Amino acid sequence: MSERTILYIEDNEYNRKIVRQLLSRTSYQLLEAVDGEAGVAIAQEKLPQLILLDVQLPKMSGHEATRILKKDPRTAHIPIIVITSFALSGDRELAAAAGANGYLAKPYSPRELLALVRQYLPEQ
Amino acid sequence: MLNKTPLGRLVSWVSGIRASVHAKLLGAFLIVTLLFVVMAIVSFQTLVNTTRQSRLLDEAHERVGWAHQIEQALARQMHFTVLALLSQEEVAISKILRENNRFNNLLAKIESSETAELRALIDQIRTSQDEAMGVVADMANAIRDGKLGSITRALRDRQERLDNEISLRVGQLVATEQGRMARLRDSVEAANHKSLILTATFAVGAVALALLCGFVISWSFILPVRKAQDFLGEVAEGKFEGRISVSNRDEFGALAEQMNHMSRELHRLDVEQRTAAAELGRVNEQLARASQAKSEFLANMSHELRTPMNAILGFSEMMLDGLYGEVSDELKEPLTDIQVNGRHLLRLINDVLDLSKIEAGRMELSLGEYSPREVVDTARTSLSSLAAEKGLEFVADVADDLPVATGDSGRLSQCLINLTGNALKFTKRGRVEIGVEVVGDALVYRVSDTGIGIPQSELENVFAEFRQVDATVTREFGGTGLGLSITKKFVEMHGGRIWVESEVGKGSTFFISVPLHAEATRL
Repeated sequence: MSERTILYIEDNEYNRKIVRQLLSRTSYQLLEAVDGEAGVAIAQEKLPQLILLDVQLPKMSGHEATRILKKDPRTAHIPIIVITSFALSGDRELAAAAGANGYLAKPYSPRELLALVRQYLPEQ
Repeated sequence: MLNKTPLGRLVSWVSGIRASVHAKLLGAFLIVTLLFVVMAIVSFQTLVNTTRQSRLLDEAHERVGWAHQIEQALARQMHFTVLALLSQEEVAISKILRENNRFNNLLAKIESSETAELRALIDQIRTSQDEAMGVVADMANAIRDGKLGSITRALRDRQERLDNEISLRVGQLVATEQGRMARLRDSVEAANHKSLILTATFAVGAVALALLCGFVISWSFILPVRKAQDFLGEVAEGKFEGRISVSNRDEFGALAEQMNHMSRELHRLDVEQRTAAAELGRVNEQLARASQAKSEFLANMSHELRTPMNAILGFSEMMLDGLYGEVSDELKEPLTDIQVNGRHLLRLINDVLDLSKIEAGRMELSLGEYSPREVVDTARTSLSSLAAEKGLEFVADVADDLPVATGDSGRLSQCLINLTGNALKFTKRGRVEIGVEVVGDALVYRVSDTGIGIPQSELENVFAEFRQVDATVTREFGGTGLGLSITKKFVEMHGGRIWVESEVGKGSTFFISVPLHAEATRL
């Protein structure tokens, strides 16, 4: 496992594609999950260095997943950036309460996303 | 407890009489009055009777006096007769005659007011007296002729016999009169005693009956009033099922019937009201559920709309950034158009969702400390490229010593971006200026332009939803017309106000005044 692995949990295929293509030009390794439960399972198994996750996910919400990962001693140290479309309804506070480290409102600019990723996990 | 006693039965009987309260009171009053009238009559009769008896007593007394006087006259007559026989003088004879006259007068007095029983006795006395007077006449003749001595003995014998006879009968008369007087006295005493008892009995009876009437009448009124009091107490406590039952068939009975009617009506209204309230509660619940469903729908819509927007904006940006290879100049322009229109669409979507949330009362401010300068800077930064494109002068006028304020900086930025966006949109040349200053306890943000201006008649309408100055403006400048009304709502949620000063052709200035330290206000 590379030292620069990012887990992206998102159910929309096109958004996964954006991140996949955005990171293809970088040295980051990308892991993908399409729902909350799968995301938590992969995170616990592969222990990535950074997790990006959507708030509205099938099976388990992004906030719930954040809480579980932050409670698990194996994954508690991994920075989590929450991406939400509820930019205007206090989701930033909810995300912070669940233990998220960063926050990005959807629709996000790929440039901003990359800048945020580099802020939490600098490229070698 | 009163019910079981005879008095209680009397009270309920009086209650049950089918007559008005007025008639009952009058009846009771009349009964008492009648009793007192009867008592007065009895007393009067007693008085009359007593007076008559005492007059009779007086008369009897007088007659006894006369009888005694007759006795005395007789004694004197006998005395003078003896004197005449002894002295043989005519003077004595005349004295005898005088006493005889007195005797006869008294006898006549008694006889005038006498009963048949005694009249016989009086006749006998008179006969004997006349005979005695015959003897006296003989005596007088004998004296005159001087022959008295020879007949004295015979005359004296006759005289004595007659005197004894008269004395005996007068004695009988006196005894009779005295006996009658005694009997009369006894009967007067008995009559007086009887009157006293009768009067006392009537007085006691009248008082007792008056008390009884008062008691019965008053209780026949008090009982229904007490029941009404208890009943109304229950009604006042909201117990409408009860009924009041009184035996009265008067106004109190009618009143009780009315109360029952009222209670039934109240009960009916109560049931109706409860049903309506339950129905209302149910409808309310449905509405709340509908509202909940609506806001959930809006939240989902928000996500569903933004997700494809994210892809559109993301892919076009990455293309422009050359992530997929070198981009030709011809391709850069349409890619930029996709970006600009995508952002515009996103803003419109945000506006519609914001307004829906505000209308549903689900919009909440996230209050915190912020720097007014940063709010102005955010608006300026996000719109500077647009101003540059249009070749407009775009300046910010912010004092250096602004204090830290309390409010929702995100929403205030949104408001300022809305106003500034409008200013840039409606200004073809000249300048747009954003400013902020402290006025008293308020922060006043200002956005002024040198644009087309707003006619006076439209100034009131600019903050209304879906309004633009006219349809041609919409065609030329675009926009939903929601920006200003959303801005107004956010300002009001901060406890502030928004207004505009404008002159057609010269430009407009929009002002937002919010408290320096805002507190959450629900609209």
